[in-house]
Amino acid sequence: MHRDRLISQVGPALMLLVGLAFVVGSITTLELGSARRMGPGAFPAIVGGLLSVLALVTLIRNVRQPMGWDQPDPISVLAVAGGVIAFAFLTPLLGVLPAIVVSVLTTSSAVPQFRWPGRIALAVCVSVAVWLVFVKGLGIPLTTIRGL
Amino acid sequence: MELLSNLALGFATAATVYNLTYCFVGVFLGTFIGVLPGVGPLAAVAMLLPVSFYLPPETALVMLAGVYYGAEYGGSIASILLNIPGTPSASVTCLDGYPMARDGRAGVALFSTAIASFFGAIFGVVVMVLLSPALAEFALLFGPAEYFAVMVLGLVAASVVSTSGALRGVMMVCLGILLGTVGVDINSGETRFVVGMPELRDGVSLVVVAMGLFGISEVMVSARGATRSYATERISMSKFLPTRSEWLRSIGPAIRGSAIGSFFGTLPGTGQTVASFVGYALEKRISPRGDKFGTGQIEGVVVPEAANNAAAQTAFIPTLTLGIPGSTTMALMLGALMIHGITPGPRLISEHPELFWGLIVSFLFGNLFLLILNIPLIGLWVRLLRVPHYYLYPTVVVLICVGVYSIDNSIFDIWMTLAFGVLGYVLRLFRFEPAPLLIGFVLGPMLEEFFRRAMLLSRGDPMVFLERPGSAALLGIALVLLLATAIPRRFLPWARPA
Repeated sequence: MHRDRLISQVGPALMLLVGLAFVVGSITTLELGSARRMGPGAFPAIVGGLLSVLALVTLIRNVRQPMGWDQPDPISVLAVAGGVIAFAFLTPLLGVLPAIVVSVLTTSSAVPQFRWPGRIALAVCVSVAVWLVFVKGLGIPLTTIRGL
Repeated sequence: MELLSNLALGFATAATVYNLTYCFVGVFLGTFIGVLPGVGPLAAVAMLLPVSFYLPPETALVMLAGVYYGAEYGGSIASILLNIPGTPSASVTCLDGYPMARDGRAGVALFSTAIASFFGAIFGVVVMVLLSPALAEFALLFGPAEYFAVMVLGLVAASVVSTSGALRGVMMVCLGILLGTVGVDINSGETRFVVGMPELRDGVSLVVVAMGLFGISEVMVSARGATRSYATERISMSKFLPTRSEWLRSIGPAIRGSAIGSFFGTLPGTGQTVASFVGYALEKRISPRGDKFGTGQIEGVVVPEAANNAAAQTAFIPTLTLGIPGSTTMALMLGALMIHGITPGPRLISEHPELFWGLIVSFLFGNLFLLILNIPLIGLWVRLLRVPHYYLYPTVVVLICVGVYSIDNSIFDIWMTLAFGVLGYVLRLFRFEPAPLLIGFVLGPMLEEFFRRAMLLSRGDPMVFLERPGSAALLGIALVLLLATAIPRRFLPWARPA
């Protein structure tokens, strides 16, 4: 129970950190100006301050009534993030279509029931559909396959 | 007569083959998205944003709007056939729609849904036609202080409906505003918070934030969720037409539902879900057959459908005339306009009449398409729901990547999208909803601009916001809204988790 309470404070604590970061960032690196002629730092400092105060209130209220939190699902996060990372790495190297195939295969590994034939079929279908809609239909200039 | 010439202009804009095609594509995709549980209209609009850059602004908005109200239609199909709301606002339709389907009257339920939705939407469009120009004219009297106050009200309204409480909602709004300050400050030309990344000089792109928070993180949450297939029971589709007495019984509820929906649609932060809940609750109380609601009464389908479709249309009123988005999806529409260099606000109607009136007339066409599409295609949607929905998620991930990449051919944007996806996922784990963040992000820069201008005009006196009656009243409403949420949420019918 003690650990749960501690973890439920991570969210508000992160908010407090972000709020403070913006306040400190505005004060140290930007001009605050006067109330009449506000500099670029004034507004972020005010909003950052508001966020910090609210986060502090949440932290304190959370001690008495801790808000629940959900268990993360690392496999799902890794598979989805993996799909995006594959796309980001492979697009400049090989072009968009090969990147899509690898991305679909990576993301679909999140679901164990999803068998290889289905995954490969989906990868091919999605890349053909993207080529048809984005490249042929909308005429968006994408490097479909590098070196082609 | 001015109205007639405006509508004529609208017809001239909307009734071109080009715009009608995109209107059709929009409502078709919207229905598709609405039918599928798990992907909401928000993610759909976000995914189409990059495509809309390649279209003229009117066409872009016509298509995005079509997705949005098309999803309202589609949502009710899944509600009736499967008892699973495809969109949150369709959850009320489950109450009587699903029992009707189990009685073998799915065809009747779907047919009356189509008619009620169409009626509600047209009602909403009429309200919009009559109200928007007047509201815009009134809003021209606003100074920077009033604008600031309207935006604060919009942001507060957006955060109080957050299911995890107003406090967390306001925090997310603040976070969104702060993210909006990244990049060059338009007043001084100084760069803010770019932390050494030159790509951030122009600020964080709206598409990146929206796709990350709502696309990537949604997929992370639901990819491995319950993957049961939605195999339906055999549903008899032989009968479509309601009986004569059902027709007569539906007229009153349709009008009341549309009126309630139109009202709630215009309020920032409430929208279709609240409208359909309130409409249903009210009808249950005043209808002579109210005690039978929940057992498959036609009124119980007509009211929420009329209400949520009317609300879907009137939600455009504050968005287009004041520049205040009532919901996250509306914030994206606003963002789409701004990307095309159009500032939403009271001058929009007079400066871009073809856009405003064209959009309104496209609502008529779009709803007509939906009415014609809905019945013959029901068989298709049902078959589609039988496809295991894990086919969907890899497709969504790829569409997001291609969409983001197609804007600038920038790999940096893809990394940013991933970062926002992970951020959205972590926020959800700790019960912070990302929706208010996006509204704060869209409104933040305008909020700062009006705040600074008002302070300049008042010579640095912050009391200006309380001395001007307009802004004082608006800020007062915002405060009341905030305090009202101190009421425990179990007393509010629409706040209960579905």
